[in-house]
Amino acid sequence: MLQFDRVNLDAQTEKLRAEVRAFLADNKAHLTQPNSDFVTGHDPAFSQKLGERGWIGMTWPKEYGGGERSFFERYVVTEEILAAGAPVSAHWIADRQSGPLLLRYGTHAQRQTYLPQIAGGQAFFSIGMSEPDTGSDLASVRTTAIREGDAYRVNGTKIWTTDAHRNHFIICLVRTEAAAENRHAGLSQIIIDLKNDGAQIRPIANMAGGEDFNEVVFEDVVIPADRVVGEPGNGWEQVTSELAYERSGPERFLSSFRVFVELIRACGDDPAPHQAAAIGRIAAHIMTMRRMSISVAGMLEQDKDVGVEAALVKELGNNFEKVLPEIARLAAPERGAVQAFRKTFEETLLLSPSFTLRGGTREILRGVIARGLGLR
Amino acid sequence: MTDANTEVRQLILDSAAKIFTDHCDKPLLDAAEQGQFPGGLWQLVADNGFDQLGTAGSGTSAGDMYAFIQLCGEHAVPLPIAETLIVNSWAPGQGIASFGELSGDVIKGVAWGREAARVVGLARDSLEVTVVETPEVVEQGVSLAGEPRDTVSAAGGATITLSADPYAQAALTRICLMAGGLQTVLDLGLQFAAERIQFGRAISKFQAIQHSLAVVAAEVAAAKRAAYSAVDALDDNRFVFEVAASKARVGEAVGIVAEQVHQIHGAMGFTHEHRLHHYSRRIWSWRDEWGNEFYWQSLLGQHLAQLGADQAWPFIATRG
Repeated sequence: MLQFDRVNLDAQTEKLRAEVRAFLADNKAHLTQPNSDFVTGHDPAFSQKLGERGWIGMTWPKEYGGGERSFFERYVVTEEILAAGAPVSAHWIADRQSGPLLLRYGTHAQRQTYLPQIAGGQAFFSIGMSEPDTGSDLASVRTTAIREGDAYRVNGTKIWTTDAHRNHFIICLVRTEAAAENRHAGLSQIIIDLKNDGAQIRPIANMAGGEDFNEVVFEDVVIPADRVVGEPGNGWEQVTSELAYERSGPERFLSSFRVFVELIRACGDDPAPHQAAAIGRIAAHIMTMRRMSISVAGMLEQDKDVGVEAALVKELGNNFEKVLPEIARLAAPERGAVQAFRKTFEETLLLSPSFTLRGGTREILRGVIARGLGLR
Repeated sequence: MTDANTEVRQLILDSAAKIFTDHCDKPLLDAAEQGQFPGGLWQLVADNGFDQLGTAGSGTSAGDMYAFIQLCGEHAVPLPIAETLIVNSWAPGQGIASFGELSGDVIKGVAWGREAARVVGLARDSLEVTVVETPEVVEQGVSLAGEPRDTVSAAGGATITLSADPYAQAALTRICLMAGGLQTVLDLGLQFAAERIQFGRAISKFQAIQHSLAVVAAEVAAAKRAAYSAVDALDDNRFVFEVAASKARVGEAVGIVAEQVHQIHGAMGFTHEHRLHHYSRRIWSWRDEWGNEFYWQSLLGQHLAQLGADQAWPFIATRG
């Protein structure tokens, strides 16, 4: 499991990189507040432009609006738009995990309904996993969906739901059968329309001054039975596989990248020794994690199970995303042209507690790695 | 790399691993750290041609050579084999060779200088190196790992000019040795945690230990990937910067990994009798040889500062 193979991106992939850079240069109007944190900028117009370019759902079959491109091509597009600080939050979850989930487990009708809209940058999804009393212990969810004829009646509360107040759909993990001895049985995933099905959505202000996540309450919300993803009762397996998609991408080590860029700018072209060392130290970490992340893209391309490797990249990446601003703050000049640095630094520092929480806490990931090492 | 090449490399590594497992044991390491050159082990290495890996006519590549050096790190092989291989790649020859840092009329920090038939002196920021035959040993010394690091006279040396930065090549040997040593330290930690029983169960069953080993595994994985990056850049104009990133990253892993795995071993790992220290002291010493993290971070950071903030990403986003 400690093998992260070398990958050389091919010419076609590099050509795509050049196209993405040209596109970003042409769309500077969308880069109003460059921030490489993937949940910060919600810009449907920008997402739609990416969709028109074919840069959402890139690896999916053409039949469902995808591009049938490689995981390396998808990797390059995602790292380029993140490094530029582009606003990607609107389509991010749909592209990264809701779409792949539907592709793998959804019905043909579900794929036909949702995937082309996602790939077009027109349908945005949220994740309905956490609840007020359910965090890392995901199998303890209490939201119920009770079968009534051709429908399910949903009752319960989801929380920390990023962009539920802006997005179109949420895929919720719910209990379709009462909890039994096997806690992982009786769970299902169901698609709920956030605009039309009667969910009550209340934004929760975060400590950084943003209102990105929400509490989403379902009171007797009735959902057609054909919105269950895959087989009823298969929710645990599905949600576990979905989380693996979530963990290895460049968004797991680039969230504070713009702080690094502004640090270099603030230090100028003749940095003091400690400033040069801080810049070099950060670069050395990013160069290494990036190559590890590309190795995981290679494993996905070969259809391998990446659960442990993805957890390992996320563990390294999320921790470093928090260390980066710590290194930068001590190296940045205290006077001079540092306004841009301070602004980016402060914004990132305030967001940083979330880096090792979202997508599986540091503690959960270390458990996944320990299992991979044969310790449990 | 073609499949045939992969097979050749695996064959080399398998046969070398067998030799090291059989012969490079704790008594041999103890004796070497007391200054006794392990001549028998050297003979085995030379007889198998491992001292000529990567040279023209050997049928092996520089990549094979660095993979072998990493294996030497895994086994804490107490020979100047990495040094001999590098010197042979600069100036073909036979027998024990070594290198050190040229400082005035002496060459310092020469691994097993007292045993070397040839010593090369090299300096930062220079492609010119000085080759000295049967040099006079001015002073004997050892690293904190008990590895001989001697000062020899540079008198009578001949100057040759290399195509790739010698200081970075010297650093690359330490990167590969550390990558190997780190793997062994992780393995020892995993093994000890599974065997040591406290509170009625293996300590590997405790979450605190599991998390510690998860952190160690992540650092080791990163260090190994970073090591490959520097090896892959051998023929590239980014070579020095890739070595910089790699040595800085691997060196950072060393501190974390050694500390955590010693903690897991408790007092037993603090004894001379346990073999953990042969590896932990080596990785500690290798991170300081041929430029520590600060040196390489600064070199890389200086380059990025000159490229400018908006060129940082294009510099990082390489194909390989």
